[in-house]
Amino acid sequence: MSYAFTIFSPTDTPLFTHEFGTSRSGGDGTPRFTTAERTLTPFIQHSTLDIVEEVQWGPSSTSGSAPMYLKHIDKYQNNFLSCWVTGANVRFVLLTRPRDEVLGLGAGGAGGGGGVRGSLAGGRATAAAGNVYNPTSPATEEAVKNFFVDVYEVWLKTVMNPFFHAGKGDVVKSPVFRARVAAAAKKYL
Amino acid sequence: MTPLQDATPKPPKYPADLQASMILPKQRASPASSLASLPYRRSNASLHKLFESTASLSGSRPSSGTATPTASAVPGSVFSPGSRQNGTGTPAPLPPGLSDEYRTLIQRAFVPHVAVLADAETEELIRGKGLEGGLLQLLRPFGESVSGKITIRDSVGAGKSYEDFGVRFIGVNDGLVPGRSSDLRADAAGGQGESGRASSSSTRPRRTGGDVAQVEELVNRHLQYSEFNTQGMVPDYLNQGIQTAQSDSTSSPFYTLYLRRLLSSLPVVPHETFAHPVAGIIAISSRNPNPIEELRRLYNRQHDGDLRLPQWVENDYLRYYVLIHDEDTGDIAKSNQTFDTMKRHFGLHCHLLRLKSQQCIPSDDDSVRLPTCEWMSAAEELSEIQRRETTDDITDPDPYLPDSDMTAIRTFVRELVAQSVVPNMERAVSTWNEQVLARRRGLSGRFMSLSKRWTPFGSSRNSSSPAISSNSNYDSLQGFYRPDAPEALMRKLADYCFMLRDWKLALSTYDILRTDFNNDKAWRHYAGAAEMAAMSALMATGSLSSKTRTENIDAWIEAASYSYTDRSRSAAPYYALRTLAIGLELLRLRGSLAADDAARWASRILETGLVGAVGTALFTERVSACYAIRTGLGTLKLGSRRRKAAFWAVMAAESWWRLDKAVQAEKCVDAAMRLYGTNTETEGGAVRLPFPQMQHFIDDLRQQILGLRLTNKGFDDGDDDDDDDAGAEQSLEVEEATETLDASPRAHRKSLIGGAVPAMDVGPRSPVKERSSRDDVGRRTDQFE
Repeated sequence: MSYAFTIFSPTDTPLFTHEFGTSRSGGDGTPRFTTAERTLTPFIQHSTLDIVEEVQWGPSSTSGSAPMYLKHIDKYQNNFLSCWVTGANVRFVLLTRPRDEVLGLGAGGAGGGGGVRGSLAGGRATAAAGNVYNPTSPATEEAVKNFFVDVYEVWLKTVMNPFFHAGKGDVVKSPVFRARVAAAAKKYL
Repeated sequence: MTPLQDATPKPPKYPADLQASMILPKQRASPASSLASLPYRRSNASLHKLFESTASLSGSRPSSGTATPTASAVPGSVFSPGSRQNGTGTPAPLPPGLSDEYRTLIQRAFVPHVAVLADAETEELIRGKGLEGGLLQLLRPFGESVSGKITIRDSVGAGKSYEDFGVRFIGVNDGLVPGRSSDLRADAAGGQGESGRASSSSTRPRRTGGDVAQVEELVNRHLQYSEFNTQGMVPDYLNQGIQTAQSDSTSSPFYTLYLRRLLSSLPVVPHETFAHPVAGIIAISSRNPNPIEELRRLYNRQHDGDLRLPQWVENDYLRYYVLIHDEDTGDIAKSNQTFDTMKRHFGLHCHLLRLKSQQCIPSDDDSVRLPTCEWMSAAEELSEIQRRETTDDITDPDPYLPDSDMTAIRTFVRELVAQSVVPNMERAVSTWNEQVLARRRGLSGRFMSLSKRWTPFGSSRNSSSPAISSNSNYDSLQGFYRPDAPEALMRKLADYCFMLRDWKLALSTYDILRTDFNNDKAWRHYAGAAEMAAMSALMATGSLSSKTRTENIDAWIEAASYSYTDRSRSAAPYYALRTLAIGLELLRLRGSLAADDAARWASRILETGLVGAVGTALFTERVSACYAIRTGLGTLKLGSRRRKAAFWAVMAAESWWRLDKAVQAEKCVDAAMRLYGTNTETEGGAVRLPFPQMQHFIDDLRQQILGLRLTNKGFDDGDDDDDDDAGAEQSLEVEEATETLDASPRAHRKSLIGGAVPAMDVGPRSPVKERSSRDDVGRRTDQFE
């Protein structure tokens, strides 16, 4: 799985971008986006802000409180997006691109009958076998949440810097911040 | 960028055809002279005219009004006021904004079909008038919109008048495709009952729609044409682009064309009766020595002879007898006498049609051009384009008719529809409503369906021989209901209601049918009923609560598209595409809350790969349009989908660029930039995108498009620098290419027109040409010029 993480300022300016791969199940932590996917990533992340706004201001799913963690909110093709909103309306957007095999797209195709149902035009994509990547599964949500919580903590320390104005679109340049985000990613994702 | 693009490769022979049609022999001499000859071509009136006519031919709107002043033969219909007048290949959209355009289009796609059968003398007479297609070709355009208002009484007895009611005239065996009817049941193991019959129609010209690939190819042709002819010759495309860009930016004429061709000439299939004839015209000529016998013979041929439709089509539809009187040579007294005999024999459904037999030429006094069919199938239009491309003469190949003929036919069609077809359908609806539907709805009917569901040995339903053992009317081996089965009658009733625009009764009937078909495991019928239930719910003008929408309609569309694409039980991708496309259009009209659903269905089309390359681009554009109409609340525009719309517009631009359609791509980029620009601060007119990568991508895309555009035009950009200026303003990074454009101001253009060969600086542009991916285009263009 590959991840792309972006922090958006309230005016939609990206303040920090980080790409990484999974460190779970033998992953080495390097992203595996193809060039085309990498080009699209910012577009997808930017376009998902529409949904963020709607979820953020829409009727709350949890009674009463407005959660900072908005969970999985959007999907474009095989890219799943989760979001975290800070108190100052800074948005953390995490794009997850599972590996093809996890999506049931792989050529090897899990289970019998996979060969019969090809990707012929007009065909329905088969609901593949059990181990499909599920963005709303509790484990995934928890992992992403832990990641966000860690990043949020580091972010708070960053914005406490009196010389840093997130609202003005100051880009985060601190290498320590990046290292911390990478550490959180390695720990949880 | 997306893996979706290459579902259908472009037909390789296409560019060859195009250039064949576009080449002017004079300019083929050498590549060097091609550039030099450009201004000459522009200035020379006769050549321009020649090129224009070639262009309008390949544009294939056969009634292209650029060449002749008599184009507006028929008063513009409600649907497309300008479509017959403008010289473009595609109908013009209605005024921008959230218009009813597609609703009307869908409404006009599902109309009663009338089969046309004529004797040999009639065909000969009409062929003498210059119409190769015979009576059918003569009548077809007039059926599309019946002149005057048609009043339809719905099931509760309230009459409503419609301006745009029409019927579709079809040939007797049109709509039966052998391949289709056999693939209906390809996996159903045997049961090829009607395939032998259907194969008899394999040789006739295909007037059957339902072929997505052909629709794609056709739209591609139109696109290609617009791509090569944007300069001056066909201003409509460009003007439209600019005009719609202001407010709507949504409906591209090509999308309209795509949708229309998708809905044209519905195939005759067992699971829906829209294409089954509601009435049949049997025509004989006054030249025929024994008319009554001839009529009987034709009737018998159609009823149980060689022209009979497959057994799942109801055969006892209304027959309408027409005597065609030859005004020039015939004797009216004798014809009147024959007509009286006909009336005595066949009752009221008769008509005496008086036509002139001589061929009419455009220079005649009262000659009017035969209006073109708006609803021909893609295959037909393609073959028409090819025919016109290969013919050399520059005269207008469209047949002309004397004014009196036109009036006579119009009167005839109106009488046919208003006095026979519609009342007959109304009667059928009320009969079936009382006899079939009421019984099914009533207490006993419910018991019936219950008892059917809970047979003591209910498990036999899904055993190997379900057709006989269960008491359902569904013949699961051959996959149809007999036309006199209550289910078939109810489906027909619902379809009639749909065609007569009685959405309420249609909806309730489809809903009952849905459960019945579900119980019978008639999956394709089930899909059809679910599809039409969703459609009639959406067509109804009343407002829907969002709850019904999400609970019912979404479920129906979902069920329909699911069952249609079910591979293990014979997939019907065309119908799935139809369901989703219609559903998305109608949902989109439901305002901003439904727009999300519309976009979801549109992206479903893309995800399931129901469309080819052109369709992908068009529907990507459509997703953007769906998101774009969702406006937010308040000053902060909360809940708007501006960024999504912009994103999809970028995707659309990219797909267009991949298809070498520079004009379309440019339109999409502009739309995207407009959407991106609505909230962000603009600095000196240029929209800055938040991500540098995004900015870079857009700039890159713009540059590519510009290069492509220049290549497509053969480095000839004289006419539309204002358009390019607008593009150049927004993309400041594209310096190299835009500079050359900006450096050709109007003063320069004057010299272009003046005929003196200007020193066109090809230098800066040549790198564009050198790019290997564009090489083929470059070559093509060289020959083209």
